[in-house]
Amino acid sequence: MGLLPQKKRMSMIEIEVKHLSKTFRQKDLSVDALCDISLSIEKGDIFGIIGMSGAGKSTLVRCLNYLERPSDGQVFIEGRELGTLSEKELRRERMKIAMIFQSFNLLSQKNSLDNICFPMQIQGKNRKEARERAKELLELVGLSDKAKSYPSQLSGGQQQRVAIARALACEPSILLCDEATSALDPQTTESILNLLKEINEKMGITIVIITHQMAVIQKVCNRVAIIENGHLVEHGSVMEIFEHPKSHAARELILRDAHGDISGAAAMVDEIHKGQKLRIVFSENSAYEPVISNMILQFGQPVNILGANTKNVGGVAKGDMLLQLPENREMQFKMENYLIERGLAIEEVND
Amino acid sequence: MNEQLWQLLGQDTLTTIYMTLVSTAFGYLVGLPLGVVLTVTDKDGISPHPLIYRIIDVITNIMRSIPFIILLMVLIPFTRFLIGKSYGPTATIIPLVISAAPYISRMVESSLTEVDKGVIEAARSMGASNWEIIFRVLLPEARISLIVGVTITLGTVLGYTAMAGTVGGGGLGADAKTYGYQRGNMIFLGWTIVILVVLFQIFQMTGMKIADMMDHRK
Repeated sequence: MGLLPQKKRMSMIEIEVKHLSKTFRQKDLSVDALCDISLSIEKGDIFGIIGMSGAGKSTLVRCLNYLERPSDGQVFIEGRELGTLSEKELRRERMKIAMIFQSFNLLSQKNSLDNICFPMQIQGKNRKEARERAKELLELVGLSDKAKSYPSQLSGGQQQRVAIARALACEPSILLCDEATSALDPQTTESILNLLKEINEKMGITIVIITHQMAVIQKVCNRVAIIENGHLVEHGSVMEIFEHPKSHAARELILRDAHGDISGAAAMVDEIHKGQKLRIVFSENSAYEPVISNMILQFGQPVNILGANTKNVGGVAKGDMLLQLPENREMQFKMENYLIERGLAIEEVND
Repeated sequence: MNEQLWQLLGQDTLTTIYMTLVSTAFGYLVGLPLGVVLTVTDKDGISPHPLIYRIIDVITNIMRSIPFIILLMVLIPFTRFLIGKSYGPTATIIPLVISAAPYISRMVESSLTEVDKGVIEAARSMGASNWEIIFRVLLPEARISLIVGVTITLGTVLGYTAMAGTVGGGGLGADAKTYGYQRGNMIFLGWTIVILVVLFQIFQMTGMKIADMMDHRK
């Protein structure tokens, strides 16, 4: 590989993490929060970091702006290694790495406008310019009419919008989102995610999203890393991991989400598995027999129950059920025949 | 109650207010920075420093455990050295400040510790220095609690001025002892109580009103 293309590739990388480990020590006790994490996030990415609570993802995101100092390894932001910077240089670097939080973390005694001005004051911007910019940002997040409102007078979604405006105030190149939608209801989550996507597209800001909800990743991220017990177990494009999750953690996260952690999650899952859908109708003449279970046992292939509306009438199941068959066409055919033999009416569903 | 006694009450009410306000003000001049240092150097603070914390912590605790009436006596040579005399309202301010400062530093510490850790983290993520966090986050965010603290301190110091009065401090406490208790003038003694109660109420109400007006949390 020549020097030139490699150099070009290097310049595209916004955040690079190399062999990062973090150990928390308390007297005799030491906890390995992160073990040997390496990943790179490219400019313009919306990069998701997902894991169960306690997996270490919040620690990881705090290592990206050195709010938490790694015990080992390096973090490069646009090629600058944070570990080599002085305290003062680090603070200047942080102005380019904005952050939003699960609990919004607005100053409770300042109104929206002053909250947005806050980072600009720290940056040393003059008051009048800061207020002008704050007003523009409020408009961007759709809260022009809330300039004088205090956080306590705003809903969760509105507070997060103010927090986003505040994060954008110093024109960052990176925005870190630590469970930014976890305290919000599904509709508000949706609108905040749309806003983040818009910011990413319009301003080219690289966004890192920490979440425990697969639906959040699916909605906005292009790349994802899965963290389990402090280890990076899997990372790659979102589609790739949804379609072929290799790790146990990934499968578990996808599965758990399918059970309605967030609205639209189920729809998302069946979009990914492109297998044939089949509607079965249980009628009077279907015998009392666990048909679906037996079919799975017989063919040794899983099917996905997407929905069911059945009643037990005198020992006979009545109603209908929506199944998703394996992708293998031949297997689908065998299964359909099996069901017809058991006296069930079936129809293929295409949408 | 004659004209002269009323005049005395009026004059010494002002003396008491003077001692209370000035002592509290100087108390904060010492106690506020100490409280900030305690918060900042605490193990969960923004710049943990166990040794500094421990030193201030121990001194504060020792000072707070000395009863005020004993502190008054112990400090007589020191007061004489500073003011030139050990009696009178101004001289009383010295022991009042020394007694109030550690109390104030504890109250400031508890007010500042209440500030949401997330907000401090947010400020750090914006590149704020520790000084900026102290002056732009900790103190402004804790201001309601700090004002309530001032209110409570005023009430406490008011009580202490009366105590100091009985051992040569002047003000209503001295009057109550000299003209009320020692001369058996119960009506006069009663009036000093009424005035002290009214002063206490005024301090409380004003402080709470200001705190309420400035609070944007609800």
